[in-house]
Amino acid sequence: MGGPQYDLLMNPLGAVRQTFEKAVASSQPSGLDPTAVYRGKDWGIVDVLNQFLFSQGGLAQVPILDASSLKWIKPNTLVRFRGMVQDMLGNEFYIGAFKDGCTWRTNKFLDFSPFSVPPVSETTLWERHLFHCVPVPGQNSWAIESTPYPLKINISNEMTCQHGEKRRRDDDPDGISDFDCCDEGSSSSNKKQKDCGSASHHKIAEITNGSSFPTNYFSCLVKVYDMPESQFKLNEVVEFIGIYTFDPELTTSNRSDSVDDDISMFDFMDDVATHLPPSKVPRIHCLVSQKLSTQDLISNSPACETLPNVIRGIRDSLVSYLSCTLGNDVIAAQCLLLHLLSKLRVKSDVASVGRLSLNLTGFTQESASIFGKQLNNAIKTLLPYSHTIPLTIEYLNTAMLQPKKDNESGRFLRLLMGALQLASGTHLTLDETVMQSGTLNSKGVENVLLLKHLMEHQIVEYDFQFYKLEMATEVQCLIISEAKSNILPADLVVPMCPSAVAPVSASEEQLHAWRWYLTTVRSLPHSTDTSICEMLQNEMVEAMRKDRSLGCSDLSRWMTMAQLMAASFGEKSLSVEHWQMVKEIERLRKERL
Amino acid sequence: MASNGHSSPFGQATPNGNSNSSQTPRRSSRRRTNNSNSSPASSPFPLETPPSRPAGVASTPTTSRRRGTRHNPNATPSTPLSTDDAVPPYSSDRDENDNMETDGQDDTTPVFVWGTNISVQEVNGAILRFLRHFRDARSASESSEAADLMSEGKYMRVVHRIMELEGAESLDIDAHDVFEYDPDLYNKMVRYPLEVLAIFDIVLMDLVARIDPLFEKHIQTRIHNLKSSVCMRNLNPSDIEKMVSIKGMIIRCSSIIPELKEAIFRCLVCGFYSDPVLVDRGRINEPTRCLREECKAMNSMSLVHNRCRFADKQIVKLQETPDEIPEGGTPHTVSVLMHDKLVDAGKPGDRVEITGIYRAMSVRVGPSQRTVKSIFKTYIDCLHLKKTDKSRLQIDDSVNHDANNNAANHEEDDASLYHDKIEKLKELSKLPDIYDRLTRSLAPNIWELDDVKRGLLCQLFGGNALKLGSSGASLRGDINILLVGDPGTSKSQLLQYMHKLSPRGIYTSGRGSSAVGLTAYVTKDPETGETVLESGALVLSDRGVCCIDEFDKMSDNARSMLHEVMEQQTVSIAKAGIIASLNARTSVLACANPSESRYNPRLSVIDNIHLPPTLLSRFDLIYLILDKADEQTDRRLAKHIVSLFFQNPDNSVHEVLDLTTLVAYISYAKKHIHPVLSDEAAEELTRQYVQMRQRGNTPGSRKKVITATARQIESLIRLSEALARMRFSQVVEVGDVAEAFRLLEVALQQSATDHSTGTIDMDLIMTGISASERTRRENILAATRNLVMEKLVTGGPAVRALELLEELKKQSSMEVHLSDLKIALSTLTSEGLVVFHGDTIKRI
Repeated sequence: MGGPQYDLLMNPLGAVRQTFEKAVASSQPSGLDPTAVYRGKDWGIVDVLNQFLFSQGGLAQVPILDASSLKWIKPNTLVRFRGMVQDMLGNEFYIGAFKDGCTWRTNKFLDFSPFSVPPVSETTLWERHLFHCVPVPGQNSWAIESTPYPLKINISNEMTCQHGEKRRRDDDPDGISDFDCCDEGSSSSNKKQKDCGSASHHKIAEITNGSSFPTNYFSCLVKVYDMPESQFKLNEVVEFIGIYTFDPELTTSNRSDSVDDDISMFDFMDDVATHLPPSKVPRIHCLVSQKLSTQDLISNSPACETLPNVIRGIRDSLVSYLSCTLGNDVIAAQCLLLHLLSKLRVKSDVASVGRLSLNLTGFTQESASIFGKQLNNAIKTLLPYSHTIPLTIEYLNTAMLQPKKDNESGRFLRLLMGALQLASGTHLTLDETVMQSGTLNSKGVENVLLLKHLMEHQIVEYDFQFYKLEMATEVQCLIISEAKSNILPADLVVPMCPSAVAPVSASEEQLHAWRWYLTTVRSLPHSTDTSICEMLQNEMVEAMRKDRSLGCSDLSRWMTMAQLMAASFGEKSLSVEHWQMVKEIERLRKERL
Repeated sequence: MASNGHSSPFGQATPNGNSNSSQTPRRSSRRRTNNSNSSPASSPFPLETPPSRPAGVASTPTTSRRRGTRHNPNATPSTPLSTDDAVPPYSSDRDENDNMETDGQDDTTPVFVWGTNISVQEVNGAILRFLRHFRDARSASESSEAADLMSEGKYMRVVHRIMELEGAESLDIDAHDVFEYDPDLYNKMVRYPLEVLAIFDIVLMDLVARIDPLFEKHIQTRIHNLKSSVCMRNLNPSDIEKMVSIKGMIIRCSSIIPELKEAIFRCLVCGFYSDPVLVDRGRINEPTRCLREECKAMNSMSLVHNRCRFADKQIVKLQETPDEIPEGGTPHTVSVLMHDKLVDAGKPGDRVEITGIYRAMSVRVGPSQRTVKSIFKTYIDCLHLKKTDKSRLQIDDSVNHDANNNAANHEEDDASLYHDKIEKLKELSKLPDIYDRLTRSLAPNIWELDDVKRGLLCQLFGGNALKLGSSGASLRGDINILLVGDPGTSKSQLLQYMHKLSPRGIYTSGRGSSAVGLTAYVTKDPETGETVLESGALVLSDRGVCCIDEFDKMSDNARSMLHEVMEQQTVSIAKAGIIASLNARTSVLACANPSESRYNPRLSVIDNIHLPPTLLSRFDLIYLILDKADEQTDRRLAKHIVSLFFQNPDNSVHEVLDLTTLVAYISYAKKHIHPVLSDEAAEELTRQYVQMRQRGNTPGSRKKVITATARQIESLIRLSEALARMRFSQVVEVGDVAEAFRLLEVALQQSATDHSTGTIDMDLIMTGISASERTRRENILAATRNLVMEKLVTGGPAVRALELLEELKKQSSMEVHLSDLKIALSTLTSEGLVVFHGDTIKRI
């Protein structure tokens, strides 16, 4: 047997068929009904694919589906798609397996059956889950095409996105060479498939010309099989590897030319096909999926191991870079670093631990144009997902921040993305310097409340018309404002004192190291070493005696900062030294207030 | 035996007749017999011998598959029902030997619905038996003499009523009843609803025809209240074609779709009208040629719309309710198909429980193509719709509780639906630390203030309202609380939290509220010009909690309006020809700053609060929340924060009830628990009360303390009742009374109040006195008293304190300081034994 007898890249459905037939054949003697046996189960195709992708390095050859590659990727081939689960469209029932004459056939991983299917009463239905996925909002260009796999690491001084382009161009010959080494039978079928694919591409082109969808809008309908209940959550970033299907026949079912007697009924029953037409929203039948954390977006640099001095070195260079962007303000840079490292660790009704939202004050219109821009650029190059919201009255009064279920009658029921539907770990910059005096309308007030709620509780309310659901989010909030923002209460308020405007530059290597540093340190576990507790308590009591105005929030902020400070040095446990550093920062910060 | 139920016993079959047939199902040990002992082959379906083709019967259920298609009543053969009455109703089907012989004479062969284990006759019989003989166990026990008199089953009565009223077209059948009477029938009904319901309808029609042959309307069976309901997201392929019950919220209704049921065609050539053409598998076939022999024109038939029969149809979208959505999920939706009477039964926004058949419909690729995609659309064919509104707490009618019987029925309903939920609450209530746990769960983000939280908990649970029978006066059960405290002590946060928690909470700020805004006001309707009464905040929060922030900033006028509300619980209006008294059974939770905005320890408590005593006395609990500089508290706070960061947060959190559980717990307790004072508790109450009253009346005091009044004893009763409620206990115990007293003491920090001056001894709050210190002081007090009795004569010359100290030191073995002596002397002063002035002591 040895290698695969089929081309997984170009003809994954062939593999699906083959494995299914094999499985059926092996279970045949026992006389069991395959529809019941393989319902909600894998019959070996996933193993075959896993072997190919991860053991034989096939992963790198799988093209990534996005708005641009959609044009040339052929249907019924294996693709990779990274996206955020934007909406869950429930499940779909289909005839999983049926007997065509005397051979068993399966419809799994297919939109429709090429063969005539028996009536429903004679078969068991299978189910699959539908997810509407979009590219991660606010994903920065450096993080888009990079892959976590060793293949990419060799070329690190080249821009990763360029590299991605290059790799994809390399892909096609790869595919063909693979295809060449296939045996005759399947290669002819491949050819047929290719022809069919190119024909359908014409169709796509035709349809997209007359589309009302914005051209940059790209989303994917992912069909997931055999999934345990609620495996994916809303707003999770997932990599799906599966079969991209496109069936020209399905697109012709346009509602305009249909005068079927029960079309009105069909319409009302959420036809995914009509509302998310395959010509605009590609389908992926997922075979393998994997949740992605921000770490997966950054290649594991071999140069940076968790040695304390290496970490310290990266930290120092990053602080100096940040202070450069902030006009040589080291205090602000330190605070910014802590802010960038913050992560909500515990959340309950009682308290949220670990979050550190930052409010940089002292920006004027002019300085905001310089430092604000620099700061934004720095964040964009350092973090995988970032988003900036300009807080103008007009924006607040008109923008849709809240994700909302589209409930207008006659329209497909789905969740409309609001600006605050963000993947976990996204950095959100709120620019208050552009705010002028004016009147907020009711929507503006709602939006401000939403932002406030997000900052205070890390929760965004999603509007499902008849009720609202609170969705936990994990977003780091940075506010730049002229004076302390009263609208949006931040944990840490730092007035900026820029002294010089310095040109900011960083090499790609440095950037890479910093990215690695930020994501790694953020994900470091904090130890629960309690030896220092007594000292901390004494310090706090002492501080409270000196200053009666100190409250719960101040003390928690100190603790958060101290832990982040320790983490920024790569330490897992908090030491006295870190505590003193935080106290010093706090002292200097107080002087500025 | 019950397990055999599925393998279909064949009821009317002859024991020997079919036993040799190969397809005979296993015979059930318990024979289900048809009561209709004279019944000949009574099946409405064509009969065939079982071995040949069980599919023989399939034709009938398939035509009745769409519930919309009505059977022609004439086509239904009648099931005899005549001799039944002689059979004892309840036991008949369970009796082994019942009517064996009569059955034996029956030549009927069982007919099965194709692909199922349903024997038509058997189900037919079972349904009939159920309809005729089912009796509500509850109502039966109530009116046993009536049952003896009239042996009519519950549903027979309903059928009669429907026939009398003429208007109704459906018979609601509680699935619980079916299960109770015949679990086997229930299982069959849920598994093969299409078939069983078709039989149900036929049996019912038959029954009706028997009672009144002229009754022409079709009565439809509507099953509801299944034993278990499915969560919308758990509907899966195995539920298809089964009866399911789901809960959800209607989010969208389509317009009403007229669905053709019977079509009549007319020949355009000769004008011949065809017979009604019935819907066959979802479509109507237009006759290709005129049916009249003389005409026979081709393609001449056209539809006559006016003479066709249409039925209403509507598609409704149901969305999951928030409680069923797992974390990180979006609500699922499902389409529901409504027919006839169910159209427009629910509006968008209604919470409903739907019983129906889960169906799948294949998706056609295109209108022209006959090819069918392998994908299915699912929907629920609705059989029954029940509106449920459980979004908010159901408010108990504790005052007008005379309609007990009415409520009982309702509660029964609730109990069955929320049975396990309630079990869980009951389990919670048995925890020994439930009181502390509840306290922790209330506003967990607010640090400390445990005793305030306890008081607020009492407010949420409330006491029992009493209506004194003869006079019509009522004693309120609601507890009013006033929070007075320094700024920045999170009073407002507590208020907000309570507002969120209470069923009908209104939150107002004192500064922005006027008297009429709080109570009620009369306005002229701009359109009609009539004067109308508009309710204010207090009336709107009837049976809820009215939270009033900034109570001290309220105008005196507005505040005086509260007098009536807080004791009589009504708002009386006499204005512009409207004289009315509105119910305002609300608990008032107010918060205020001390009169000088910060608590002034030099002033008495009353002076600090600075509210009229008449109003103050209406508050059951008055809390002073003082911002005290205290190292102990600081340390606790520091420890709390540090532990938040260091310890595994789970163990600090897990003992807290979440908001929904807390709300459910409170509402259940309010609704179902009505504790009564036990004798010991009543005794304890009187004893403590007398003690408290004495303390307020100490001679020589400046009467600036909150004195105990009759109102206090009422509030103590309320508090103890609320405390008992928290434990789901029907009896108020001594412990509850003791805790109520403690709460009253803690509120206002009375334990720290100097009763002679009325001021709070700040030292007392900050340091507290240890038990040993207290005994030491008592010893000194006793020694001093003796000394005073010995040395001083009433009205005699004054003695200097230092002299007394010397004497004391000589006598006692302990170390005595001047401060100790002063404390002792001040106690003696309050007892009225001596006068202590500057440095001199005089006995009086």
